[in-house]
Amino acid sequence: MYGRVLGMTVVGVGGRAVAVESFVGRGLPALTLTGLPGAAVQDARERIRPAVEHAGLEWPLRRVVVNLAPGNLRKEGAGLDLPIAASVLAATAQVPTASLTGLVFFGELSLRGEVLPTPGVLSVAIAAAQAGLAGVVVPEANAVEAAQVDGVRVIAVADLSHVVGFLRGTWEPPDVEVGTQRGWRSAGVDLAEVRGQEQARRALEVAAAGGHNLLFVGSPGAGKTMLARRLATILPELTREEALEATQLHSVAGLLAGRGLLRQRPVRSPHHSISTAGLLGGGSTQLRPGEVSLAHRGVLFLDELTEFRRDAIEALRQPLEDGHVVVTRSSASVTFPARFTLVGAANPCPCGFRDDPVRLCECRDDQLARYRAKLSGPLLDRIDLRLSVPRLTKHELLGAAGGEASTVVRTRVLEARERQLARYRDNDWTCNAHLPGPLARREAALTSAGERLLGDAVERSALSGRGFDRVIKVARTVADLGGQARVDVGHVAEALSYREAFEPEDRAARAS
Amino acid sequence: MPHVPAEDEEPFEPRLRPAGFPPSFGDGPGEADAVLLLACLLGITPRVRHEVVWHEGSATGAVAAIRGGARGSDNDRQFLRGADPARIRKRVAVAGARFAQPGSSEYWPAFQRLDDPPVGVFLRGRPLVLGHDRVAVVGSRRPSAQGKDVARSLGQGLAAAGLVVSSGGALGIDARAHEGALDVGGTTVAVLGSGIDVEYPATNRHLLAEIVERGTLVSEYPPGVPAEPFRFPARNRLIAALSIAVVIVEGVARSGTRSTADFATQLGLELFAVPGPVSSALSATPHELIRDGARLIRGVADLLEDLGIDPSRRPPPPAPDGLPANQHAVLDALIEPMLPAAVARAAGLSIPDTVSALVQLELRGLVHGSGGRFRSALVREAARTTAVQHHADADADPR
Repeated sequence: MYGRVLGMTVVGVGGRAVAVESFVGRGLPALTLTGLPGAAVQDARERIRPAVEHAGLEWPLRRVVVNLAPGNLRKEGAGLDLPIAASVLAATAQVPTASLTGLVFFGELSLRGEVLPTPGVLSVAIAAAQAGLAGVVVPEANAVEAAQVDGVRVIAVADLSHVVGFLRGTWEPPDVEVGTQRGWRSAGVDLAEVRGQEQARRALEVAAAGGHNLLFVGSPGAGKTMLARRLATILPELTREEALEATQLHSVAGLLAGRGLLRQRPVRSPHHSISTAGLLGGGSTQLRPGEVSLAHRGVLFLDELTEFRRDAIEALRQPLEDGHVVVTRSSASVTFPARFTLVGAANPCPCGFRDDPVRLCECRDDQLARYRAKLSGPLLDRIDLRLSVPRLTKHELLGAAGGEASTVVRTRVLEARERQLARYRDNDWTCNAHLPGPLARREAALTSAGERLLGDAVERSALSGRGFDRVIKVARTVADLGGQARVDVGHVAEALSYREAFEPEDRAARAS
Repeated sequence: MPHVPAEDEEPFEPRLRPAGFPPSFGDGPGEADAVLLLACLLGITPRVRHEVVWHEGSATGAVAAIRGGARGSDNDRQFLRGADPARIRKRVAVAGARFAQPGSSEYWPAFQRLDDPPVGVFLRGRPLVLGHDRVAVVGSRRPSAQGKDVARSLGQGLAAAGLVVSSGGALGIDARAHEGALDVGGTTVAVLGSGIDVEYPATNRHLLAEIVERGTLVSEYPPGVPAEPFRFPARNRLIAALSIAVVIVEGVARSGTRSTADFATQLGLELFAVPGPVSSALSATPHELIRDGARLIRGVADLLEDLGIDPSRRPPPPAPDGLPANQHAVLDALIEPMLPAAVARAAGLSIPDTVSALVQLELRGLVHGSGGRFRSALVREAARTTAVQHHADADADPR
């Protein structure tokens, strides 16, 4: 009266195999779960019996003990419903034991025996393939996700009776369409729609080419949001590996809604009222990826950056530096990948109209100083490109030409990326933004005129030590965009023009 | 909250007050102490105090009259009951300050021409040299970026020409004017609306400390008196009286800036105003004054010319000779705060070349960028006509 099947639980983004053993023995009818089940798994006790009976199968009116191994791992999520049911069916000899080898079961059950969409199927399929298992039994709604993984058969089931039919050999699962998941698709917006703002458009191009983070500072209505949303349209398309990583995070968060691989780089733009856990990841029982991880391989757009909770934006420093975020709770500590391009937008001052050509700024200098202090130096140090986005006067707007289309800019971005890939082929990093500071100077191969201009900037104390490295990296990207092997004076000058916004502007502020 | 008597609280033998102070004021036994006590009274307006002094003919008499209840407020009587001139002097010394009564070398004679002259002033920092010509530069506490630049360059230009810049030590235009003078190693006088040792506003504490070192702080109020709104107009009359000319940079309608201008008019000083965009609220006061007859100036060059200051005393302006052609073209094109794209059109350069030139000019201190727009730090009269032509061409082009 013993059965054993393989299930999975998702820890962080990874699937972890869980052996689900059942023993049906003497005693009053009851189902006992052992092996550190989480709250959602405990619920399974009540769900599984109705599901099994509804599928026309028999529930043993005896004492059932289900053990989840390894016992030291806390199991979370409803994905264990299906393996528990399968395990009990095996223990009561309602399915042949031999048919279970090499299979992983994953999915939530309804009381009527339907197999419901479950977050994390992609992670389960990846883990199964890595473990060399032959097939995964997953909810039909998530089948496309699982089908992205090579080397593992996907058995898409909509109902518990399908599972039994498959195991008995009386039902064949349908083929799963992988879908044309590759290829760039228009996001519905285009850089050509932005009038004027040549500098900001150029900054987007530099950010895309070198992987630099970006901060737009400007009055309300200047077009910061419009610009930021168009960054994704000029980024290189996701490689298959990147797409799998990003999709996995969206799968774990339950955001895929039946789609397969992400085709576009994700753009996440959480509202500034978001909690630290929402931004970085967390949750009390099952640790969920935060916005930084959902933006993995894409763009994290934080509008009104100064309005976010201070602790939340300060916590961004880890993912900005390391490309991942470690979320620790009493239940567990997990690592979520989080390598994204940060695009911030902020008003120049509390009222928003500093330096505006028309409206008068009503902020006192001390209010301004307090406002600017909301973004700490260490955070700003991780934003290579900072520029003012001025609100255009009517006259300027009418005189402004529409710009190049995203596809044109993207071509240059791709070429610049190729040059970086070739240059850094033996290194851990792939773009200029991730270049370690001390190496930036070597890779820049400054011309003597470029060197002189940098020296001038340092001498006139327009540059700090960190600022110095940032300028070199950005100048390197500008040179890559121009196809130049060495960084010349023009590249340095352009890089210097992306440093001004949000610096303290007064003598008093500088002195203190 | 100290009691502030209204000026016409009780008719006190209306009589025409002569200007200045009676001949024996501050001179004679007990007079110096009495003047100091009078200067420390906060419950009486300068005008009433002046009336009492003339009515009684001496400082001791005025103190006695106030003590006796003829004039002044209860606060003043309470203060005088416990006041010890020796202790006040000590407090003044501890604050690093000194007191100057009428007739002393640091009491500016023009104060006596005021309707309501101070009975004395407190000072910190360098001696107030009577032979120096001071020009007041005042304006809004919340100026535009352009206003700040103008104030700073006026401060620099005046100081470089050997003049002393006076202002109110407040935020905004005042601070920039003081800073400008200090920038070029000049000297400057700040008249405070608070006690001589009260660093207000706190944001300016570094600036005020620098002024104590390289200039002079002046206040009508003894140590410890907090800054309060009603003290600022009184402060403004001293700024005007200290100066030979007053320059108004920016100010909204009915502002404190306007009151300084009015005192300047009353004292018969030269009044100058820097114009601004007609659409800006900050242009209200200067434009109003220009319409009323104040002299319009476009920069420090105009001011020095009108004041008859020998330009040879000025250091040469930063010479843009030897600039690369691109930078020269960009500088010529910058006739107002402009976007790089507009500069590029006007200068006939590509945007990257323009940005590159702007950044290099910025490092040379010839251009200031803020809020995405750039403006020239120079008043380039010669370039203006050609640049306007460029700009007009660019406007005509419907691109």
